[in-house]
Amino acid sequence: MNVEDFFNLLKDAVLLAGIYAAMSMGMTVIYGVMKIVNLAHAGFMMLGAYFAFELYYLPERLPASWVERFPLLGHHVDPILGATLALPTFFLFGMGVYWLLVRWLPRSDQPTLASLLLMFGFWQVLQNAGYLIWKNEDRSIFTARTISPPLHLGFLSFSVDRLVVFLAAVSCVVLLQIGMKRSWFGMSVRSLIQNPLASQIVGVNEEKTRRLAFGLGASLAGFAGALLAMLYTFSPDFGSPFQLRSFVIIVLGGLESFSGVAFGALVLALVETFSIQLVPASYQAAISYGLLVVVLLFLPKGIAGLLEKKWRVA
Amino acid sequence: MAGGMTVAMPAGSSRRAQVALAALPVLALAVLPFAGMPPDYTRILFTALVWITASIAWNLLGGFAGQVSFGFAVFYGLGAYTAMMMMNRGFSPYTSFLGSMSVAVIASFLVGLPTFRLRGPYFTISTIGVTEAVRVMMNNLSITGGASGIHIEEHAQFHELDHYYSALVLAAGALCVSMLVANSRFGLALRAIRQDEDAAADLGVNPYRCKLWVHAIGAALTGAAGGVFAHRAAVIYPQDVFAFNVGIFILLMPVIGGIGTVWGAVLGGIVFVIIKESLVARFPKVHLLLYGALLVLIILFEPDGLAGLLRRLAGRTRILLGKQPA
Amino acid sequence: MKHGSVPRFAICTLLLITLLAFAPTASHSSTADENAISIGVVLPVTGKEGKPGQYQKEGIETAIKKINEAGGVFVRDQGKKLPFKVVFYDDESDAAKSASLAERCMISDNVTAVLGGYSTTLGEAESVMADRHQTPWITTGAGATSTFSRGYQFAFGALSPITVLGSDTAQFLGNLMDQHKLKKGLTVAMALENTDHGIDYGNGINQWIEKHPGYLKVVFSEKFEYPGTTDFSGLLQKVKNAKADIFLADAHLQDYITMHRQYLQAGMHHQMVSYGARGPDDAARKALGAGTDYIFAGLWWSKKLNYPQIQQFVNDYKKYTGHEPDSWYAAPAYESVRILAQAIEKAGTLDRIKVRDALRKAELKDSILPGAIFKFGPNGQTGYPFLIVQNKPGDKVDIVLPKQAATGDAVAPIPVR
Repeated sequence: MNVEDFFNLLKDAVLLAGIYAAMSMGMTVIYGVMKIVNLAHAGFMMLGAYFAFELYYLPERLPASWVERFPLLGHHVDPILGATLALPTFFLFGMGVYWLLVRWLPRSDQPTLASLLLMFGFWQVLQNAGYLIWKNEDRSIFTARTISPPLHLGFLSFSVDRLVVFLAAVSCVVLLQIGMKRSWFGMSVRSLIQNPLASQIVGVNEEKTRRLAFGLGASLAGFAGALLAMLYTFSPDFGSPFQLRSFVIIVLGGLESFSGVAFGALVLALVETFSIQLVPASYQAAISYGLLVVVLLFLPKGIAGLLEKKWRVA
Repeated sequence: MAGGMTVAMPAGSSRRAQVALAALPVLALAVLPFAGMPPDYTRILFTALVWITASIAWNLLGGFAGQVSFGFAVFYGLGAYTAMMMMNRGFSPYTSFLGSMSVAVIASFLVGLPTFRLRGPYFTISTIGVTEAVRVMMNNLSITGGASGIHIEEHAQFHELDHYYSALVLAAGALCVSMLVANSRFGLALRAIRQDEDAAADLGVNPYRCKLWVHAIGAALTGAAGGVFAHRAAVIYPQDVFAFNVGIFILLMPVIGGIGTVWGAVLGGIVFVIIKESLVARFPKVHLLLYGALLVLIILFEPDGLAGLLRRLAGRTRILLGKQPA
Repeated sequence: MKHGSVPRFAICTLLLITLLAFAPTASHSSTADENAISIGVVLPVTGKEGKPGQYQKEGIETAIKKINEAGGVFVRDQGKKLPFKVVFYDDESDAAKSASLAERCMISDNVTAVLGGYSTTLGEAESVMADRHQTPWITTGAGATSTFSRGYQFAFGALSPITVLGSDTAQFLGNLMDQHKLKKGLTVAMALENTDHGIDYGNGINQWIEKHPGYLKVVFSEKFEYPGTTDFSGLLQKVKNAKADIFLADAHLQDYITMHRQYLQAGMHHQMVSYGARGPDDAARKALGAGTDYIFAGLWWSKKLNYPQIQQFVNDYKKYTGHEPDSWYAAPAYESVRILAQAIEKAGTLDRIKVRDALRKAELKDSILPGAIFKFGPNGQTGYPFLIVQNKPGDKVDIVLPKQAATGDAVAPIPVR
């Protein structure tokens, strides 16, 4: 491998890490606050992907007269905008799901089997709903950027779509980070993660925080799904490999820290991108999952746990 | 798990009654094929018995000892593969099932020795990693046929009942093991671990060792179930027997039936298979939805599973009949 | 443990078992319909293989509708025409379930034959059941050679073997070299999905290369995980580093689209590119537009074939489903029903063994499949030639091989974008 290849791979890894971080954030928020491993995460991502898809192809479905009267309607909604719109939409959807299902679960400071299976069951329901609405077809979004040739920056070449998705993902992660630091909600979340009992004593409304956290988790999953829709083909059973990877990432990141997630995403992306140069591609996934076990055994607080004092913000 | 039932009979007679009552369904199942059971029911019952065995096996670790594992597909798959490979080398199916059990036990130690150092959710999470990594490895290993899977040549005429009785004997064996464990000191130790691992250790229980052993027992039963399944399927794929969903189904059954109870695991297995069979056939378009919804409803409204539901109903009837609830 | 609870559960289990054993099955009565020919159809319409499975189901239903509208199939020993009746099960793309449902058709639904098994894994699991229950079984979608190398007596395959897809692909490239469109001795990089399909495809190519030295040289060959690969950039980087002239992949539709998107976004280029049996699929054209131009594929069928009977099929299919056949999936499924009808008519009975014997001899002389003749070989698998098609700009697809069916010339090498 020459130097150019190395840096190109490094760039690939960083771009991938951005997407990974965005898709794992939602899982961490929910895990951190209520210790639920959201097995319906993939379902939310699938819906997010279709959300962007439907918005993008909306003009083709509207009656021609409408488009004539309001020319604005004739424009495709760019998936990046779609992803942004997914944030509030899935926030409300997530809160609805919380109100309907999640709030009835017994509280626990550990993930319970009941919570896992509840979310698993809900995922099945979402998948089936997807099949009913969109049929079992492979869909993708074809924008002007989809097949545009790569941008060259020195010897680095950037795929336009990936770069755009990366920037969107990273800005979301950064904004979230800032929001978590500054807002009352963010402080409530962090205090609940660190010490649920004490935080209630100082006046954190646990129920409200949980509801908002679930909404936030869902909205981030929807956002990530919409971004992934720009890069991948999807069908109603979309998402399970991404869900497993999110899971690996939050474990690498120490399960409940936001900056840990960014770190875990980078580690997984690096491992995946570089390991494939050494082992056959079909073994790649075994390395990721093996990494999960090894990290749990030797670094139960995640790789980020090593740097805990400096990194742990949430 | 939701106690409330006290021992109504003296321990000795209760145990005898238990054995008698466990023997009844087993005997009934043994004579059913001769009572004019339609052949398709033999097939469904075979599937049910295989799943019940796995369900009982999981319940030993997950229900009694409270260690939730997503990784039982590893033992199921290894059992299936071992049986296939041994049968292809001329071993009798029954010797091969023993082989399945041994390989599964060895695997259980390989998995358990490191992962049982982890507690609660961390153990659970690690089993997810283990099962996925094993599936990918098996998909690539050339000695097992890789992604092309493995098949056995059937030389002899196919005898449905051979398979049926293998599964029945295995399930009955699993039930016996489960009842023995439930009533033994070992079972008490496991329940102590579920309640509070540190307290159990203070009482002289070695949690690490207990978990390892019960894991091994569960693995052996699951491995044999995989072997029995493979013998009938005659062709298996890693994507199939090592699938993550297999692990989920195995733990779903005890949850549906009532986790941590001997009969809950059995009940869950039966209901699970019936649901899967009939939903797929009757509602091909919405079976996932119904199955998911059912799961959600059980979790939300009957966390103790069907066993809990039945217990409540029994309590109701007793009140209605004017008797004191036990 | 709750000792007192045991008796009740034992009783409940007993009750449930009795219920299970003696309750009538509500969904499908197990008594055979006297006035119809039941055939089982086990295909995935949900899960990974759901879309092709759906298309195959539609192909089967189109054929059945057509036959039933004409009164059905004449069965001599009953002295009348009987319509087909379908017993359909969705196997959710799960092999164990697929086998189990095929068995259910054979044992309890009393079908004359079973059709189904899209993609090799599911087909292979079902194939075991055919001999076990002595029921003719035609796979509409499993093309691996291994299924038919085991001496099964009741298994039939309506897809030409995938090894032939591989060798026909290589043959096509060889032809281009003979025509001096490509230089001889080009290097090949292969990325194959880690399934029987991918393995057979690679074997077919390698076998051809061994037999025809001097044309092609494989410099890179690697498998990737299916399902579950999320990202191909690492693998494509390796392909790039191999600096081969030709890129041959074998992938499912979803992976084909994702991989080729990343291929384009990485600015890669090869003299020829193929994704095995994928290429002209509508979904890919919608996803990548002009990005799929010049990709060539080996197909089991194409609606571009210039036989007169094809237009009829396309019209019937469209009338029944409301859309045109996308890619090849529906055609072999459609033909499977027709050849089964012919076999039943020849056998003059619904006896499974006699129908099997008749299937061995059956031959459709007006088939819509390439070569226009459809029959099963001695091992049960058919062996009609593949069509090599190439995508052309403007959403056009041309058959470029075999010559008799060609609708256009092959463009080689692929022009640089």
